[in-house]
Amino acid sequence: MGRRFFSDVVKFITPIILAMILLGCVRKDGNAPKKIAVVISTLNNPWFVVLGESAAQKARDLGYETTIFDSQNNTAKEAEHFENLIAAGYSAVLFNPTDAEGSVSNVNRAKQAGIPTFCMDREVNSLEGPVTQIISDSFSGCVDLGQYFVRQMNKKGKYVELLGLVGDNNTWNRSKGFHSVVDHFPDLKMVAQQSADFDRNKAMEVLESVLQSNPDIDAVFCGNDAMAMGAYQALVSAGKADSVMVFGFDGTEDVMNAIKNKKIMATAMQSPKFMAQTAAELADKYLKGERNMDRKMPITVEVVTQDNISEFDAYGSEN
Amino acid sequence: MNIKTTVIKFQSIIALFILCVVLALLSDKFLTPENGWNIMRQISINVCISVGMTLVILTRGIDLSVGSILAFSGAVAAGLLKYGIDIPSLNLYIGFTVFGAILGGILVGGGLGLFNGWMITRFKVPPFVATLAMLTIARGATMLWTGGFPITGLGEHFAFIGTGWFLGMPMPVWITIIVVAIAVIVTRSTKFGRYVYAIGGNESAARLSGLNINKIKIWVYALAGILAAVGGIILTSRLDSAQPNAGFSYELDSIAAVVIGGTSLSGGRGSIMGTVQGALIIGVLNSGLVLLNVSPFWQQIIKGFVILIAVILDRVNHPNED
Repeated sequence: MGRRFFSDVVKFITPIILAMILLGCVRKDGNAPKKIAVVISTLNNPWFVVLGESAAQKARDLGYETTIFDSQNNTAKEAEHFENLIAAGYSAVLFNPTDAEGSVSNVNRAKQAGIPTFCMDREVNSLEGPVTQIISDSFSGCVDLGQYFVRQMNKKGKYVELLGLVGDNNTWNRSKGFHSVVDHFPDLKMVAQQSADFDRNKAMEVLESVLQSNPDIDAVFCGNDAMAMGAYQALVSAGKADSVMVFGFDGTEDVMNAIKNKKIMATAMQSPKFMAQTAAELADKYLKGERNMDRKMPITVEVVTQDNISEFDAYGSEN
Repeated sequence: MNIKTTVIKFQSIIALFILCVVLALLSDKFLTPENGWNIMRQISINVCISVGMTLVILTRGIDLSVGSILAFSGAVAAGLLKYGIDIPSLNLYIGFTVFGAILGGILVGGGLGLFNGWMITRFKVPPFVATLAMLTIARGATMLWTGGFPITGLGEHFAFIGTGWFLGMPMPVWITIIVVAIAVIVTRSTKFGRYVYAIGGNESAARLSGLNINKIKIWVYALAGILAAVGGIILTSRLDSAQPNAGFSYELDSIAAVVIGGTSLSGGRGSIMGTVQGALIIGVLNSGLVLLNVSPFWQQIIKGFVILIAVILDRVNHPNED
């Protein structure tokens, strides 16, 4: 009886499945919405969450189905996502790469499958692979921030630099941009340069230790805003929050509020919302036939200070 | 013979002492009270987690999920404190006091630990795999709960736990001392403590002599979860912020502290005080390398070699274990 029942079920279900497959094929050629994939290097950081969600939201507003993929800062994971999204028939990829070199092959694989890629925030070292790259110009942003730093310091004093992850491109782009300005002033002395892995707790602990050997510093330059908040907390518990200036990079909500309240001197605003929305719009234009696009679009990083803070929103303006 | 056994018995204290002398000679800022408190405060979270990890490793298990449980418990406590629980469909809003929120976080940590223990005993999932699964589950739950954004602005009462002072000592250090004191008493002078060692020493013998092994193991993993939650609450309070990526790779620091402290990964041998010394060595090394402004590249290499040397010494002293 069990077997009989089972075969009845199979007989009943098979035509339904066949019909669904056939109808599915018909629908796909009809008016089903196209799908856009959003592949983000990591969702472990609010800045990237904003980047991913803004891209997905804009694509949805333009009438596409979207899915966000999290590469967990792992290029191998990213490769799997690309394999899956090629197999699943996505029409375009809004892409925030994990690695400038490692991600190139993923972009090329999508291109061979006829799927255009649009890079956001970070670039890949390939001009031919992606349709366009909308890049946050970290280096120039830190040049501007460095100039503001020099003015605030009156060209002399001791400072500490907190680096991000030492294996990360962005860490060194930011550090190099900053030093390209600041190193021209011999009276500005860097008394310590330490890594705090872009992490708030690590930054606090590292600065606590640094303050032991260098209690008389005048400023801390941090490679991102999470570290700036951690550094500020270490200064508060050491009773030096008023005498030491803190500089961050990113433009996150925490730090924007801290700048408003005169706790942190300045940050550099990268606009994840603007970059993400631009990428989604360009993808839409591309899918509608537009081919005339710049290979690279550097997006200016603006210095946010206590004087001009009123002109900015956290995570950048909408476009 | 006597000198040799004494040296072996106190090897981590001797190593710690040598390390401190070297650092004190290299930097005059090392042996200051402020730096001492900094180091103590910085290792307090690792010590809390590592006490739980020691119990787990004594039963010949491992707990890879402590970092994620720490993040989730901290985020739960922060979320309850800041937003409470709002159920519009029942027209119900529950607010939480600082105490209630902390209790909530600790219950969540204990619950996840209990789940680990249940998987390991009821379904015979190897501890490595069960807690590896929990590592991603709890991390995902943290993301879900926080939406990927830090929960900040938790008020000064909550901040007191991580940043306040009481009778001349920082609060995290008080909490850690209490945790360590209880753990030392439990492992040395209670039946439960002896059972933990017995299971790690020889599980079948322990079973044959009538111990309820499953029950003890479940308790051990639940305690590891609770202690991870305590660490999570200290961290959240110190930062005035529950970070979604908090506690990333803390399980490795914790295992390092346990191993440097002389606890055997094959179970049955080790001590809470050894683990405290292991955590102190790591903390002193971290602080000292920054104090001397050693390049971040070299710091990682040096720390790796310290772990290797500790384990090699342990191997030499206990050649008959597998």
